[in-house]
Order: sequence, then structure tokens, then C-alpha cells
Amino acid sequence: MVKEIERAGIPVVHMCTVVPISLTVGANRIVPTVAIPYPLGNPKLSGEDEKKLRRELVQNALEALKTEVHGQTVFDN
Amino acid sequence: MRLELGNIRIEDVKFGSKTEVKNHTLYVNKEELITLLSEDERLASVSIELAHPGESIRIMPVKDVIEPRVKVDGPGGLFPGFISKLDQVGSGRTHVLKGTAVVTAGQVVGFQEGIIDMTGPGADYTPFAHTHNIVIVADPVEGLKQHAHEAALRNLGLKAATYIGEAGKNVEPDEIKTYEVLPLFENAAKYPNLPKVVYVYMLQSQGLLHDTYYYGIDVKQMVPTLMYPTEVMDGAIISGNCVSACDKNTTYHHLNSPVIYDLMEKHGKEICFLGCVVTNENVTLGDKQRSSNMVAKLVEFLGADGAIISEEGFGNPDADLIMNCVKVEKKGIKTVLVTDEYAGRDGASQSLADADQLANAVVTAGNANEVIYLPPMEKLIGYAQPADIIAGGFDGSLQPDGSITVEIQAITGATNELGYNKMTARGY
Repeated sequence: MVKEIERAGIPVVHMCTVVPISLTVGANRIVPTVAIPYPLGNPKLSGEDEKKLRRELVQNALEALKTEVHGQTVFDN
Repeated sequence: MRLELGNIRIEDVKFGSKTEVKNHTLYVNKEELITLLSEDERLASVSIELAHPGESIRIMPVKDVIEPRVKVDGPGGLFPGFISKLDQVGSGRTHVLKGTAVVTAGQVVGFQEGIIDMTGPGADYTPFAHTHNIVIVADPVEGLKQHAHEAALRNLGLKAATYIGEAGKNVEPDEIKTYEVLPLFENAAKYPNLPKVVYVYMLQSQGLLHDTYYYGIDVKQMVPTLMYPTEVMDGAIISGNCVSACDKNTTYHHLNSPVIYDLMEKHGKEICFLGCVVTNENVTLGDKQRSSNMVAKLVEFLGADGAIISEEGFGNPDADLIMNCVKVEKKGIKTVLVTDEYAGRDGASQSLADADQLANAVVTAGNANEVIYLPPMEKLIGYAQPADIIAGGFDGSLQPDGSITVEIQAITGATNELGYNKMTARGY
């Protein structure tokens, strides 16, 4: 899906837990997430802390979308 | 560490007034076993039936399969951390009731339990069509949570296998096989001219009912560690997982892992088998990185020339498999991978979720997406309705006549990644 959307000229950020698979399939902007059963959350955190985590992940993804890349890039800051 | 396995050939299983082995027939006292298993307050009902090779019987949904064994001599007992105390196992003597299996079935726990057909086309895909099975159907009390249901069934199977295994304690085995691996330096010194091989034993540990236990510990909570090959023969590793039936390692598979038995067979002749690195398949990238780093470090630390790496399950564990492979290969140590494929029903799709050029020696156990028609059986042990929801099934899998059309993914052990199956690829 990532590759087909990019082929249509729209940049994509792939948010995923298993970064090596994302690299293998050829995503260009990759944002690492939390865990396979809960990529964009964390049931171990309080509701408040989890919301903060989710916001950070989305902001990180939006930053990645704005960033010019030359080849596959993992945004793991 | 040295273990003698005494195989007692069992040619038939019958119910009897006493649980015993006489003239290659195993007799099971049904009432006594039901009473023992009914002690668990989490279970509402327990019943036992027998299923023999060639009978028109379907067993489903199957949770686990366990081979009855008993410790005759040496420290510890079977299934340490669950049934027996936490002694070190893998030495002394253990008797095996060869040709029998305890099969646990009942209401579906997750959605990834399997089917065993004792005859017909499905029987070609499961090794448990060829064993005399003591099938235990247990249903939970109302409102029991899934994880407690899984734990109850897991314990039930181990308990039943232990009870039945006791019948082999004082029986003279038909054959005794000895398996021994020496401590590292002695082992390497004894076979200086043979290539040194390590087995990397990957265990399912994704959580949410996808778990495996090593001496009672949930393996997602451990870091990779070393194991003598004989420890697994006494039940150091047991299955608790609900991964697709075709490629989960049941406890029976662990007890009989062809990778370990074949490496032992070649030990001292073609190779020097150094031992096993037991590792997990966790759900965060950090865990995957930590475990694969440690696998590669341990394989190097042991001084191996080569490593066999087997996967359990599929999907994201493919990433663990490739990470283990790449990191071991980059240390200059050759690897061979054992896995299976999800290549679509026509076999044309990419087989694994991850790949790398260093993964250049791979053994496949077959394509789990292949579709099979299972004709109706005269008798059903368990429940047929889950056919539509178990992994490999789909809406309409179960037909009114009792036939089932599913991917072989739904058949217990069909594409087992320890190689305990008969699938072969031939070029024409």
C-alpha cells in the first residue's frame, strides 16, 4: 500500500513496529511504533500518559511527512 | 549431559480397570483419569475418548498434543515448572509410550486451534492421525476468562500425559537410545575435525495466548539462553500457544523435535553438536533486537562453524528469523533456516514477511495457504462450528454435510517448522 500510494505521487509515512520489514518492503519514511499488538498506544501507561505518547507519535509522523528524504529514512529520534 | 530414552512400543489403546501397559497395549482407567482432571475448578466438564489411526473420526478444535513419558532414573520429572518441581532435567533415564498421544480439545480458546482427521485426505497432513490418541474434551466454567481457560487446558494436557506416562515406569522398553552432549570444551576436544554446529531454537512468545514456557517461565520474559539438547526430551519446553495449528509446535513436537534428534544422530559422525540457544519472538522491536543480538553473540561465543535456526509461527516472527540469520552470518558463521510459507493459495506471493540475501539456505515445511477439502467423518470429537473462525478457515468452511474446506493452516502440524511432517517439494 505504501509503495502504490507513493507511486501515485503522494508521500507516505509508514508507522510500524517491525522496522526491518518496512525497510525490506521499501518504505521511504518510517516512524517506529510501540508494539505489534498496540502500535499506537501502550496499555501499560495511564490514560494521560498514553494520550501524550500518541500525540508524540502522530507529530513525529507529520514531521517526517514534511521532511525531504533521499532514500529510506527511519525517524527514530 | 546424558539421557537414555526407553521407547515402549504401543500398538493399541483401550479403556480398562487399571492404567497399565500389557503386551504393547495401553489400558487407561477412564474414571480415575476424569476424577484427577476434574479437580480443576476452572473446568465445568471433562470427558475422554479414544481415536485410533484409520477410524472415521475428526477431532477439533485441538489445543495441544502431548506424548506420555515418565522419568525412571535421574533428577527431576517431566514438565519441570508445571507438573514436576524445578529440578534440572535431561539426564538419567526416561521411558516413552511410543505411538500414543494425549490430545486436548474443547470449546475454542482463541481462534487458532486445529483439526485432526484420523482418516481421509486430512490424515496425510497431520502426524497425529497415526498415533493412538487419548482425546480429552474439557469445557470451562461459565465466564472463565480466555487466559485462564488456556492455562486450565494447558495444565490438563500435561497432567493427563503424566498420569498415563506413569504406566510405562516399570515396563521393559523395546529399545533404549542414548543421547549425550558433553560440556563445551570436552565436546569440542573429542571431535576436533568435525564442524561445530549450534541449534537456534526460536519459540513463539507474542503474548495474548501466543506463549511458550521454558522450565515454567514465559519465554517472552527471558533473554536467550543455552540448553543441552536432552533437556527438551524431558519436557523443559512446553507449548501454551494458540498460533495457527499448522506451524505451532505442540508439546509433542518439542519432545520429538526432528531438528534435535537428527543433529544428535549425526553428532560425532558428521558434526559436533554443541547444544541449543533457546530464544523468543517478542512483539517490540527493542526485544527483537536484544534477542537477536544475544543469539548471534552466544553462537559466536560457543565457537560454532554453523547454525540451524528454526522459526515458530509466521508473520512478524519472520523478522526475528531474518535478524537471527543476518546477525549470525555477519559473524562469519553459516546458517540454515527452517520455516514454512504463506505464499497465497496459488503459491505465487512472497513466502515470508521479511527477507535478506544472507538467508541463502532455507528449508521450507510447505505452503500453509493451500486449500484442502476434508470430507465428513462418521464421528466428531469436540465441536465443528469453529471451522469458520479458526485460522485457515473462512465463512462457509463448514458445510451442512459436515465437510470442511480450509487452508491446511487449520490442520495440526501440517507445516511444522521443526520438520515433523511429510511434505515434499518435487520438480517435474
